[in-house]
Amino acid sequence: MADWDELTEALADYTVTCNGNERLRKMQRDWSRNLHFVCADNELTFSMDVQRGEIIATPVGHVGVPDIVVTTDSEIFCDMFWGDLNPVQKYLRGEITVQGSQEDVMRLDAISAVIWPDV
Amino acid sequence: MAQPPSGTPSGMILRRSVGVATATATSAGLAFAAIDYLGVVSVLAYAPGATAAFAILFGLLLVILIAGIFSELNGLYPTAAGIRLYLGRAVGNRTALSVTFTYMTTVVLVIAADAFLIGAAVRHVLHEPAALAYVWIAVLLGIALAANLRGVRLAGWMQTLVTYTVLAGTVVLSIIALFHVGGSFRHPFDLFGKGTFSGIQALAFALFLYAAFEWVTTTAEEARTPQVITRALFIAPFLIWLAATLFALAVTHLVPFSQLHHSTIPQLLMGKAALGTVGELWMLSLTVLTALNTFNGGFLVASRFIYAAAREGNLPRQFARLNMNAVPWLAVSTLAGVSALVAAVVFATGQWLLLVAVGAAIEAGIYAIGSLCLLILRRRETRERPFRLIAGRPLAAFGVVLFSLLFLATGFSDPRDAKRFSLAPIAVIAVLGLISVAYVRICVPRLQASAAARTAANRPRRRPQRPAAPPQEPIEPAAAEGGPGPAA
Repeated sequence: MADWDELTEALADYTVTCNGNERLRKMQRDWSRNLHFVCADNELTFSMDVQRGEIIATPVGHVGVPDIVVTTDSEIFCDMFWGDLNPVQKYLRGEITVQGSQEDVMRLDAISAVIWPDV
Repeated sequence: MAQPPSGTPSGMILRRSVGVATATATSAGLAFAAIDYLGVVSVLAYAPGATAAFAILFGLLLVILIAGIFSELNGLYPTAAGIRLYLGRAVGNRTALSVTFTYMTTVVLVIAADAFLIGAAVRHVLHEPAALAYVWIAVLLGIALAANLRGVRLAGWMQTLVTYTVLAGTVVLSIIALFHVGGSFRHPFDLFGKGTFSGIQALAFALFLYAAFEWVTTTAEEARTPQVITRALFIAPFLIWLAATLFALAVTHLVPFSQLHHSTIPQLLMGKAALGTVGELWMLSLTVLTALNTFNGGFLVASRFIYAAAREGNLPRQFARLNMNAVPWLAVSTLAGVSALVAAVVFATGQWLLLVAVGAAIEAGIYAIGSLCLLILRRRETRERPFRLIAGRPLAAFGVVLFSLLFLATGFSDPRDAKRFSLAPIAVIAVLGLISVAYVRICVPRLQASAAARTAANRPRRRPQRPAAPPQEPIEPAAAEGGPGPAA
């Protein structure tokens, strides 16, 4: 089970990697969403504010009304943000559950697909 | 593993979520395509005249059972992965993948069939040579391809409007046709008049009219509450039943079956018989409108499935490549290309009724498999779900037997001659199924092995190693309450 410090570290790396990827920023230029995350194992919650493809903030707790809610175990979140696992595999096995439109779910995965094409 | 309560992954309300009206429109819109007009004619081939209305009603009763089965499965796994996940949990990932690949071919068949039928209808109204129909097919698929590549989507309200317009337009013109003087009902109840098995085959083709209504489960993740999908699954079949029944009665009232049987435009014939050129243009407009739902929904469902399969390592990873609109361009382009190819084959051979038979058989097979999933998962999953089918086990067992029978009834049917049997539909399905199984057994393991080797070679694990845990000490309550902790 991952704690908040590990998640913070993973989120910080993810934010830098995403915001520094020009292709991703261009692809997601029309995508502004509020994401909520729920760790099912330790009940940690956090949010992600994405404005025109740029991750603006990743505060603890749930801030604002979500467009997408992602629920899984904290370890999976950590591995996902570090790019060490393929989120689609977990999703198709029911280990990651998502609330949100199919388009937004696709966009969320597109981030991982673009920044870590080998995973 | 994360196991939130079924159907309520977090209990939070999304900024944009789908309500009952939109979900019902999605369900009915995915099912009621241009091919349904031809589907009604296929029912008429086995259940002549007004008897078709009974077959469509019996079909509705079976669809209500399917709605119950898929509602419970959706409650257990509210995900866009739908049948893939139900099957994966019930019988394993490999079988799930084989079945889903076969299932997805129905999407291609429906897209190709709709392109073909709409092309034929436009050509007919414009009095163009028959050869120009394929130009219209290519234009329609080209527009759909371009719109999808640019990431253009029908807004929810637009999709709802289109669906209700198509259904209401069909109902209204059918009622006008029914009041038309000069027609006559034939064969009020003659369910077995075309042979011993004709009643069963009529029922199987009636089931096809509702086919794909269950795809609404792929929108479960955006539903306002889990009950939204359940309600849509139960309401949409009634809307389809109303439109299909009235159309069947109207068409049998005004147009002789001899004119309908080998026609690609039964809806235009009914429109013309009811209101002349106005009626013909009316039905042409509705036919073209169905394309919006088919091409929007069909392309979206199938291309995202291909993308997910490629991301998972089950298809070559090129299919997961995204363009600058975050659209899997190769998946969408391949889909359009294959649909154009199938439409060309249908155009060249005139075997459009074979598409109906293959689609009907695959759909019946999927309903049998869905019933089997529920039967197995009733034993394995004891979690609470938002919907639980009353007498679920016996009904699911009944569904396995009945829908398997209907699968065989359509699989061996010859829609061109109701009194004969044909191996063609079952042969097409067998080939599609064998290709899927062979691909999953032979190609997928190789793809996954090469992906694993590539990842291992190119990409060491990035996440820092966690420091070795100190010896366990009792945790004081005060320490456990500190930090960012669980939010409300």
